[in-house]
This record gives sequence, structure tokens and C-alpha cells, in this order.
Amino acid sequence: MLRADVEVDRRDFTVRAAVEVAPGERLALFGPSGAGKTTLLEAIAGLVAPRAGTIELAGRVLTRTSSPRVAVPAWQRRVGLLRQDPGLFPHLSVKANLAYARSSRTRTGATADGPGHSGGPDGTRGTVSELAELAAALGIGNLLGAMPARLSGGQQHRAALARLLLAHCDALLLDEPYSGLDVALRRTLTALVVRLVTERGVPSILVAHELADAQAFATRMAVIDRGELLQLGPPDQVVLRPASVRVAELVGYLGFAAVADQPGVVAGIHPDRVVAGRAPDRGLVLEGSIAASRPAGAGWEVDLAVPGVRGPSAVTCRLPDQPGSSGSPLAVTALGPPLFGADGTALTAGPSAATGAAPAAPAPAPVAGGVAATYGTREARAEGTGR
Amino acid sequence: MTSGPRAVRSVSGAVSVAGALVVWVLLLGPVITLLTHISGSAIASSLSAPGALQPLVTSLEAGGVTLVVLLLICTPLARMLARGTLPFPRVWEAGVLCSLLLPPLVIGLLLVFMVGPYTPFGELIGHLNLSAVNTFLALVIAEVYESAPYYVLGAQAAFASVDPRLEQQAALLGDRPRRVFRRVTLPLAAPGLAMALAVAWARAMGAFGAVVVIAYHPYGLPLQIWTTLQATGLPSALPFALVLLVVALPLPLAAYIWSARAQSRRRG
Repeated sequence: MLRADVEVDRRDFTVRAAVEVAPGERLALFGPSGAGKTTLLEAIAGLVAPRAGTIELAGRVLTRTSSPRVAVPAWQRRVGLLRQDPGLFPHLSVKANLAYARSSRTRTGATADGPGHSGGPDGTRGTVSELAELAAALGIGNLLGAMPARLSGGQQHRAALARLLLAHCDALLLDEPYSGLDVALRRTLTALVVRLVTERGVPSILVAHELADAQAFATRMAVIDRGELLQLGPPDQVVLRPASVRVAELVGYLGFAAVADQPGVVAGIHPDRVVAGRAPDRGLVLEGSIAASRPAGAGWEVDLAVPGVRGPSAVTCRLPDQPGSSGSPLAVTALGPPLFGADGTALTAGPSAATGAAPAAPAPAPVAGGVAATYGTREARAEGTGR
Repeated sequence: MTSGPRAVRSVSGAVSVAGALVVWVLLLGPVITLLTHISGSAIASSLSAPGALQPLVTSLEAGGVTLVVLLLICTPLARMLARGTLPFPRVWEAGVLCSLLLPPLVIGLLLVFMVGPYTPFGELIGHLNLSAVNTFLALVIAEVYESAPYYVLGAQAAFASVDPRLEQQAALLGDRPRRVFRRVTLPLAAPGLAMALAVAWARAMGAFGAVVVIAYHPYGLPLQIWTTLQATGLPSALPFALVLLVVALPLPLAAYIWSARAQSRRRG
């Protein structure tokens, strides 16, 4: 179990977060660049010192700022960190890189940590075969004699992952490791990490600023913005039921429409959760005119100008069929949209997050004809969240 | 080497190669001149004179001690400068640059006022029956002052070229700081350190300005060249110049070859 409840000072704000990750669980820290996600990882790894808080891992206290103070140095933490730069030692062969931790732990680890670690360093027995097996499993078995500079980016990442796993860390921290790679390779490597983390039963945390990366990895997702932990929950829950307008914006809601019979209440419109046509039993009907459209993926992205009380504003949605030309009228239905009160927080009595074909139960009153007003400018919405 | 033939294919390429060759030959001019103006018999007669080789021994000994002193006291400083762990890092760097910019002759003059017999330092070591003027100790002090800034700046650049995230990674993999230094920092900085040491060695072996003021005795090679030149003229001084080159060059050359090989080994 990895527990972290810390406050870390940064130049412009303080990162405050409390997370708990069970063995084998995969937590994604999702948020925009510069939100403080990496800072949190570095605090757990012991690379930056938190101003206040505690960090516990596998029954050991790694950091405690209250008395009695504890600050276990990074080299005794048994925390593995993988960054975007694989960080292989350029002067050592791939094999020596993989074996790097082995030769450290056999000397320092045994005395520093004592008992209580499963699958730990047991001298030399089985280590050579473990290295060879893991290298083969990761597809770098024939590269052990090569120098890191000879490896491709994907191979370097595989080697870096193998090196971490051979170090038998008690926790695995991944700081956007694959964001520089192409999509196919990113998928392969993420799937590989997921499999290995589950097999080994270590708690792991992934930092991501792309929602897709977080979703592909996580069993739970935490949304962080400017150092604040805004929401923590299963990935689908966070996306379908954002806790606030700010979270909704971060996970990809591109428009907010006023709900006709509930003053001050807005519905979040996610472009992927919109179907063409009027289906009042499935959600919120929006009517307006097409402002612009463009191909997006295998379908079309449409900016829909919805006339409202405070003037028209664009709601973006993705539709499978090619829409009409600019200016032509269009009616769409936002499926079970989350509702937010005037203060920007989610209303609990909103539509259910049920997915699939079943109609959402208490749908908001369908809009008769273009009375939906948007929630205001982006700046106004940001203020509304109180951040 | 690989770009040479490619560059020659065009006229402008050929011109620039020719220009580079001229500059290169001009830079090597003194060495070429030395080799063409020296005869075997002159070498034999100069070096067979009684006591002729003593300055060579003195120079090698003083140079060796200087290198050890630099390694021990300047390497940690260079590392701290590179890592920015010192407060007001610019002030520290400016200090090192300052000592680099002092002309050697001025260093020698000032050293007399700093470590001469009537200074606190001079009196202190006087109690131990030592003197920092016209002694082997004085020679080492002068050589250290002349070569230290070159070593510090070179070593600082060598340490700065080591990615701190590699050191972090080594720590996270279980190495305590001293082991990180030994297993990651030092091997990665080694080629640069070797080059810095080679430059310092060349400076120390050729040190003259400070040496002529504070350590006229015992003679090292540069002073022997100077006194021979004054006593018996140019031709008899040339053999000692050759000796100086022969003993001063191998270490920098070896450092250069070794660091080039270390770099290419990393490329696989």
C-alpha cells in the first residue's frame, strides 16, 4: 500500500494531495501541464521534500514532517521512477544497466531495509536467469550486449522498464514515460506496463496530461489542477460525472448549456456524448445552427451555435454522419449530461451515468427551441469553480 | 575525416579545406621548426653535460605533485560549481576566472608577498624549517597557481555535462551518493576530467612566469631553457625545448586518445 498525504511548495502554488494506492492498483494523475503532478511523484520518490505531510509505502514511513520526523533518502525508498527520457546509463551496456540495481541492493539494501520485502534481493541466486527471462519477455533479449545509444526509443524504454522491475521496487512511478512515442508504440508499452504491474502486485502511479493515456492505464484516476486534487474515482466515473465545471473542462467537455427549467444550472456537453436528432428521453436536446464543421477521426466535428439568453455560443460535438452546410439548422441530443450548479460544482440529482442503450432515467427537461444559454465565457467559468 | 572527401567535391569546399590546412600548418609551425633546426649531435652534447637531466626530473616531480594537489582540492570545487550547490555561484565562478586572467608573472610577484619568508605563512612554515621561496615547495605552489584555473574550469564543464537525472535514477535504484558518484558521475565525467587534467599538466610543465620570480631554484625545464638561452645562446637551448615537448606531450595525448575512445565506446 502506498499512502501519500502531502503539501509541496512550488514557485507559484502549493501542491496538496492525498492519495492511496493498493498493491497492484494503478492510479493515474491527470491534469494539464504544470499542474503539479510530477512534483507529487518526486515527493514520493524522495527527490523533493514536502513542506508538510506523510508518505508511507509497504508499511514503512518514508516521509513524516510531524514529530518524530522521518525523511528516508531516495536510495533507500525502493521507489522506481520512469520518465519520458528512459535514463539508461550511456557508459554501461544494456545488460549492465539492467543489473545496475542488483549490485546496489546486495550491498546497501539488505542492511538499510531489513526484512519485510517479498521477492527481494537474495544474493545471486536466480538473478542471472531472472534478468535473461525478463529481457526476453520484453523483447530485448538479443540486445543485452549493446550500448544504449544503439537502441531505438521503444527499445530504450523497454530496457528502462526492465531495469526498474529487476530493482524490485515497492512502487512504480511513471512520469509520462511514453508521451514522446508514436501512438502504436505507446499502446504496446502501456499494455506491457499494465500487465507487469498487475503480475507483480506493486502500487503504481502514472502521470498523464492526455486523457487517453490515463484511461488506458488506470484503475482509478485523480484530476489535479494547480496543485489541487479536484476529483478521485474510477476513470469512467470521472469522465461521465465530473465533480465540477473545471474537471469537466479538463476531461474534454467543450460546451456548457443552460437547462431550461432550472435557473443557474448548466449541463456539460462532451463532444463524444452527443447523437444527432431529438431524443428527449436520452438526455438534453440542443437546437441551433451549424457554425462550422470539419472531418475528425472517422466522423465529423461540428460547432453548433446555440442561441441563448446571453447570446449564441458554440457547442462542439462529434457526429458519425456528415452534417449540412454552415448555417443550416441542426438538432442534437447530449446523452445524460452532467449538471452543475451556479457555484460550478456538480449537482448530485443529475442524470445517471448509466451507459449503454438504456435511457437515462431522470433526464432534464427537454429544451423546446433554442432557449439553451451557455454558461458564459471560459474565464467566467474558471472563476465559477472557485480555483 | 569522413567530411573531408565530401567537402572537396565543390570548389568552395576545396578552398575551405585548403584554408584550414594552412591554419593548421601555421599552428604547428613552431613544432615543425623545432624538428628541422635540431641535430642529433646537438642533442647528445647538450644532454650529456653533467647534471643536464636534473631539471627534467625536477619538472616531472613538481608536475606530478601539482596534478595530485589539483585532483584532491580542485575536483570537489569543480563539482560543486557544476551542480550549483554553492551559494552565489556567480561569485565563485568569477573568482576562478579572476585567477585565470592574472598574468603568470604577476602571480609570481604576488605569491612572494603571500607566502614569502616575512609573511605569516612564511613564518609558519619557517618553524618547520621550510621555505616557500626558491624551493621545491615554491615550484609546486607556482605551478599549482598557474594551472589550477584551467583544471577547475575544465572539470566544471565535465561535471556539468553529466545529466543530473541519471544521478537521480542511480539513487532511486539504490545507490547512496558516494556510490552514485563512483558508478555514474565519475565515469560519465571522466573523458572531460582527463582533458582538463591534460591541459593542467601542460600548463604546469611549461610554467615560467610565476616560477621565475618565486622558484628560480631548483631549475625545472623551462628555467633551464631560459638560463641556457642566456648563457650559451639559442642552438644549445633547443634540445631542452625538445625534451620539454617530449615529456609534456604524452600525457595530454594519451588523455585525448582515451577520452575519444570512451566516447566512441558509448556510441556502441
